[in-house]
Order: sequence, then C-alpha cells, then structure tokens
Amino acid sequence: MIELNVNGRQVAVDVDPDTPLIYVLRNDLALNGPKLGCARGQCGACTVHLDGAAVRACQTPVKAAAGQAIVTLEGLGSPAKPHPLQAAFIAEQALQCGYCTNGMIMQAAALLKAKPQPTEADVRAGLNANLCRCGCQPRVVRAVLKAAGKGA
Amino acid sequence: MRHLTEHNALSRRGFGLGLLGMGGGLVIGFRMGADAQQPAAAGPQLPAMIRANPALNSWVRITPDGAVTVFTGRVEIGQGTLTAMRQIAAEELDVAPERITVVSGDTARTPDEGVTSGSFAIKLGGSALAHACADARATLVKAVAEAWKVAPATLKVEDGFIIGTGQRVNYGEAAGLVSLVRPVDANAKRKPASEQRIVGTSYPRTDIPAKVFGDRVFIHDMRPQGMLFGAIARPPAYAARVLSVDLAPIKAMPGVVEVVRDGSFLGVIAKREEQARAAAERLATSAKWDNGPALFAGKNVFEHLLEAPHEVKTIHELKAAATQPPALTHKRTYRRAFQAHASIGASCALAQWQGDTVTVWSHTQGPFPLRVHLAKALRTPEANVRVIHEQGSGCYGHNGADDVALDAALLARAVPGRPVRVHWAHEEEMAWEPWGSAMIVELEGSMDADGRLTDWNHDVWSFPHSSRPGPSGGMDGCNLRSAWYLADPLPPSKATDGGLPNGASARNAVPIYTAANQRVTTHYHQVMPIRTSALRTLGGFFNAVSAEMFLDELATMAGRDPVSVRLANIKDDRLAAVLNRAVAMSGWMPAPVTAGKVLAPEMRGFGVGLSRYKNQDCYVAVVAEVAVDTRSGAVKVRRLWSATDTGRAVSPDGVINQIEGGMVQATSWTLIEAGRFDAGIMRAVDYVDYPIIDFLDTPVIESVLIDRLDQPSVGAGEGSQAPAGAAIANAIFAATGRRVTELPFTRERVRAALQA
Ligand code: FES
Ligand code: FES
Repeated sequence: MIELNVNGRQVAVDVDPDTPLIYVLRNDLALNGPKLGCARGQCGACTVHLDGAAVRACQTPVKAAAGQAIVTLEGLGSPAKPHPLQAAFIAEQALQCGYCTNGMIMQAAALLKAKPQPTEADVRAGLNANLCRCGCQPRVVRAVLKAAGKGA
Repeated sequence: MRHLTEHNALSRRGFGLGLLGMGGGLVIGFRMGADAQQPAAAGPQLPAMIRANPALNSWVRITPDGAVTVFTGRVEIGQGTLTAMRQIAAEELDVAPERITVVSGDTARTPDEGVTSGSFAIKLGGSALAHACADARATLVKAVAEAWKVAPATLKVEDGFIIGTGQRVNYGEAAGLVSLVRPVDANAKRKPASEQRIVGTSYPRTDIPAKVFGDRVFIHDMRPQGMLFGAIARPPAYAARVLSVDLAPIKAMPGVVEVVRDGSFLGVIAKREEQARAAAERLATSAKWDNGPALFAGKNVFEHLLEAPHEVKTIHELKAAATQPPALTHKRTYRRAFQAHASIGASCALAQWQGDTVTVWSHTQGPFPLRVHLAKALRTPEANVRVIHEQGSGCYGHNGADDVALDAALLARAVPGRPVRVHWAHEEEMAWEPWGSAMIVELEGSMDADGRLTDWNHDVWSFPHSSRPGPSGGMDGCNLRSAWYLADPLPPSKATDGGLPNGASARNAVPIYTAANQRVTTHYHQVMPIRTSALRTLGGFFNAVSAEMFLDELATMAGRDPVSVRLANIKDDRLAAVLNRAVAMSGWMPAPVTAGKVLAPEMRGFGVGLSRYKNQDCYVAVVAEVAVDTRSGAVKVRRLWSATDTGRAVSPDGVINQIEGGMVQATSWTLIEAGRFDAGIMRAVDYVDYPIIDFLDTPVIESVLIDRLDQPSVGAGEGSQAPAGAAIANAIFAATGRRVTELPFTRERVRAALQA
C-alpha cells in the first residue's frame, strides 16, 4: 500500500511502487484532469503539481509522489471557485479539443506562482514544452496573461 | 452507463462566471454522395441530409413537459460543432440554447449523416437541422393559432412559449395539438439572417467548462464497472505476418487476463493499463515475424510516385479559342513529405459484448460507416453493432479512431460482458494511423505581357486521401486495419480518388485564377505501401501552396508584385476583398521579388497566400512576415495576418479559433513535419523524431472575419492552412530571392537552397 495525498485527500493505493503516477491518478483514483499523452515526458498533457511544482505524471513513479501534496486540475479550482486560469481559459475560449488543456493550466499555474506578472515572452518560454496540436497557443498565451492580470 | 454525447440542458457554470462573449466553432462535414451533389432544382428543395433522413422526429422532439431534444449525426471533434448546432436549433425554434438537449452520433438514436469531415457540418448538417427546427416551430405555432382562432402571424414565440391574444402556451402543450411524427415539410422557411439573434453571435462553447475543470469528457475517461484494459502487439512492419508465437509466457505475466491471437492480430487484456501495455510489448517482441517486402521496393517515395504504376486522368480542362502569345512561360516541381495527424491523445475506444451484440464507444468521425465496417470485420449483422460517439483528442482527419474501435471489439469478444478499453500508445498511433500522403505537384504556366495568366497546367502525383470506412474510402473490403491481419483476413477497400468539385488528390488544384487555358491532371496511386488517408484539407493544402508559390515565381519573372498580379487574375470580388484586407492589416508594401539577391546574415520578407477552400467554400488570405537566418537556414515566422469570409458566420469566435488554429498547424506542417520510415514502417513516432510546433515558434497572429449576412454559412476548419503555408513559402522567397521547393522547409533544405 502506498499512501498518497491527492487534492487534500489521504488515499491508499495497492500498486507496484514503480507504476507511473499517471495510471494511478487516472485509473485507480478516477481523476480525469491529468491526461495520458505521449507517456515519454514530451507533451505535458499529464502535468500535475507535487508540492506546488509542475511535474509530468507519466515520468513520475508513484513512490516518488508519496509524502508530497499532489494537486490535479480537479484540485486547482472548481466551477464554484475557479482558479483564475480556469476562468481565463473559459473567457478566452482557449482550447479546441481540450486534450492539452490540463497540461497548459497546470504548467501555467506553476509559472504564475513563480512569476505572478509574466511577460508574453515568459509565458511562451514557460509553456514551451507543452504541446497543443489544435494550434491554440495564441489563445493560451492570452488566457495566461489575462489570469495574471487578475492575480493568480 | 452514462452517454456523454447527451449534453443535457446545460449546467450554467460557463455563464455563472460572467464570461459571455466567446463562442463555438463550426466546421466539419459530410462526404458528399451523388445525392448531396444534386444541383438545386426549381421549387422548394429539402436539404440533402433531410432527403436521407426525412422524418421530422428524427431531428427534433418535444415532450409534453416542453423539453426540446435535437438530434444530429454530426459529432464534436473539438471544433465546437455541437455548440453551433445548439445555436442553430435555438435560433429556429426560439428556445434558449441552454434548454436544448443535443444528442449526437449514436447509431441507435440519431440521423445517419455519414462522416463529420471536410468542413461540411454546418453547410449540410446545420442547414438540415435548421430546416427541421423551422418546420417544427411553424407547425406548433399554426396548431395553436387554429386553436385560438387567430392568424399564425399574430403569435410570437419566446423561449418555447407561444404567446398572443393575452394567452401563452408552452411547446409541450402545443405538441399535444399536432403530430410531429411525419416527414419534414419542404416548404418550411428558415429565419432570414436579419432576424437571427443567436446565430451570428459568439455563443460560448458548451463543451469548454468541463474541459477546464477536469470533468469526464473524453472516451479516455470512461471507466465503467468491471472495465479491463486492452493493448495490441504490433508487427515490426506493415507487411509483417506472424510465423510463430508462444502465448503461454505472456498469459503468465502480472495482471494478464487473456491473450488473443487471430492470425497476425495479437493482443492482450489485463487488469491494469500499464500491465496490458507491458504484456503487449513483450508479446510483439517475442513473436517471430516475417517482415514482408520492403516499402516502395526500397526506392525513395518520390521516385515511386513517378515510376510505379498509377492512374493518369485529366479531370479539368479549359481551352480558349485564341489567346495572346505568352510573354513568358515557367515550369516547376514541388514535393511534400508524408505528414501525420499527431494527436496529443492517441486513439481510444471502449467495447462491450453482451451475447451476440456489441456496443462500441468511439471518437470516430463517422459512427454509421464505422458500424458497417465493424460488422464486416466481426462477421456479424450490422444490427448487432451499436456505435456511440464520445469525444477524443482532436483528430484533424482520419487518424486511428476507427481502427482502435475494431481492436477494442476484437479483444472484448474474449471477455464476454466485460467492457474493454484500448488506448493506443502515442508511438503506436504515429506508426499505425493512416498518414497524409506524400505528394508531387508540377506546374507549368504562361503569362502575357499585361501580367495575365494564359496557361495553367497542374499535375499532381498522390496516394489516396481517403481510406476511411465509408463511401469515400471505397465500398468493398474493410477499412479497419486489424481486419487485414486476421487469420481469415478481409482486404482493404479499393480506394478511389474523390472527383471534382470537392476533389481529393486534386482538391484545390483547379486554379482560383482566370487563366484562359487550364488543365488539371491527377497521377493517382491506388496502392499505398504506407497507408494514407484524410489529413485536414486532403490534397488541398499542398495543391494550393504549390500554386501560390508558382504564381509568385511567374510574377517575379514578369517584374510584378505578388498582390497586383493576383488582383489582375481574379474575378471573384470576395477573393479580392480578403486579399486586400489581409494586406492592409499587415502594413506590407508589396514590391516585385528580386531573385537571387545578396544575402545578409538575416533576411526578412513578406509573402501572401490566397485560397478559396475547395473552390467553393470559405475565402482566406494570409500575409506572413518571416526572418531567415541565412547561415543556419532557420526560418522564423514572425507574424501572420489573415482575413476570412465564411459567408454568414454561425459563431464568429468559433470561426476565428478554427482559422488561427489552422494557421498554427500549417506553420508546423510547412516548416518542420516529415514522416521518416525504414524498409518496413514509419520510424518518426515520437515528438523528438516527429516534432510539432511549440510556443516559441508560434507566430503572432492577427485575424479578421468579413461576415456576409447574405451568404450561406460554410465551414472554416480547413480554410486557412493552405494560404498560411503559401504565405510563409512566399515570404521566404521574397526574403532571400530563392525558392525552396520541398516541404517541410527544414533548415537543412533552406540552407542548401541558399547556397545553391
Ligand atoms: S504524457 Fe506525460 S509528458 Fe506526454
Ligand atoms: S486544444 Fe486540442 S491539443 Fe490543445
């Protein structure tokens, strides 16, 4: 059994400690936010926060996440209390299919924490390793800058 | 199990945030059959989709409590289609959009509208739904008018209530007065654009809130009780067949529930997803395979395109009686590599057998055609197969969505009653999805002394642009890949090239310019050693990019600038309007391009691309500004400006989202994307070997929409790629005075062209 703290909840999962965290979050804990993309650390779709840092859940063995606060998109905000980035992504309609959206928001949330008033260049550099095939990069940049304006 | 395609009366969360003002996309469509191509006859003509699905209640239903449900065979593929459908239904019914339930893409419940592709969803599916809803509204109003003994014109409708003479009654009660179970009335009248209040506004997309809060949205998120995970053991080459395999050690691996072998189709079912993947990988590497013959007999794909047997057809020809003798003539050949859909989320499906029947949840673009091919491959009557659409990652055409549905159904058959989800690995998608065809375009043309085109010959060499399940991919055989590997295999369908006006290989090969003599010839390869199929725009992207490059070369030879030469050779005012608008936005002062100029370390230039998608849909002009590092050959697209005319835009913001997304995707296609393969299979299977554009390389984009209230709505999802690619190509040409003729314009290729 591995003890995890996910979105403020203590849970125990019975899995091989080397299992990539993404499978545990999605399949054992039924979370939908983090997505399985490339499974090679190349796309960012699986991004979650470990103690506030954005990490790729496909490259993180579950044992490495034990003892840290794991936050997923579900834990970032809710319809009643959206994170400024979630509100900004809706306001800017900053997605098409939305498969990359989890990674964009989670990576940007970590970026805004480190740098609350980023320039456009900061946002582009900060999100550069997150891929979007629908071509929504311009809208994502706008949404992140909008969220920063509101103070994330 | 809940069906996500039922978008029940909306949660109002998107609006609760006070974030109105943005909206849904459009786009997508139907593969036209002969029926859909009929010219409009005199008198009222029913939309093609209604002729195929004539019952009014197959489009709209109203229950006694006043609840309104509309049904569409179109599906959401991340372009906001269902939001646009909701807007259209709300407009014609006069019901608040959020009160309407939209049911989409379920073979047991919705109209059969074929495939959601080719930017036809709004043009055909939207017009059909609008017509049916207009009929329903008029019928209910008339019934109430008769009951109240007043003229229908004295009544109005507000959010599903019919109001007049001091009384009001809701649609549910009105529906009790008259039957809506009858064929759609050809005489029903849609609202004129001047009276539209919801269509034409950027209504916020209804699928977005769930996607930013991490709700269950995608098929990848479905986890019904008792679900198992499947994975396929892929052959080492497309032509490979199993010689021998020992299933016992795989069956003993942790979590493995079942190992399935049917000929060379090998798969694993396990309790956990990572266990299924690990077991499938071991199964693939432990099996002994015969790899089969080398792809393209070991030749380069372009040699193969020119030399291997293929069908040559002149499909368009115009001949003038007499023309001025040309002042100059020019000929050039352009080439494009195989390119991939490269979805961020790989294809996924869920299947469950109950006795003889199977239900398959799929992000296919065509639930009905998929059902036909699943039934063939599973050797069961169609009635035993139900396909329900669920959203997937953006697909941009025919990726692995349909194929994985058969994989899931084949595996699930080994565990009756248990749902099995198969989610391909990204590398598996890249190696096994159908690719966009490598192509060669050769152009030959002439211009007279006044800068007018006299001759324009366009030859295109291509593999198929549809190997979909369904009519466009061929009627015989089976177009679900694993069916080809079964012990008793089914052959693939015989792929045919789509004819004009839509065209497939020749999409957008007919010039938008008024050359007096024109000829378009296709060199079509029905046999595809690397399977190819629809990648957004089919042949349209490369045909139009080539034509636009060629025109700029002719203009340069004639000493004319790229804009005036276009204006001198178009007749359509809507083309001229988007061109002038994009140029004005960019601030560019067009001047003739100087060939072979002296190169500084960095050279900058502007270029333009102009297109009318399929020669009949949206008009888009793009201007690009690029900077070329002449030592490394690296191209930086600094800015793109676009002007678009999609007729009446159902959702302006949705159109812009599609247009800008297409420009970003096209920048990626144009500069960096190329499939690399060895003797047996595609090798460019991850984002290192097949990179796609990132944030730092995404240009700054500005776009405008020229809304035409008086013109029918056409799709926008495929309108901007070609003009964006062409603008970039022409800006490189203008910056350096040198032409790179093979896509993508990698730094090696650009450097080589600069040093030549
Ligand atoms: S899925 Fe983890 S980075 Fe792509
Ligand atoms: S919105 Fe589709 S991948 Fe980004």
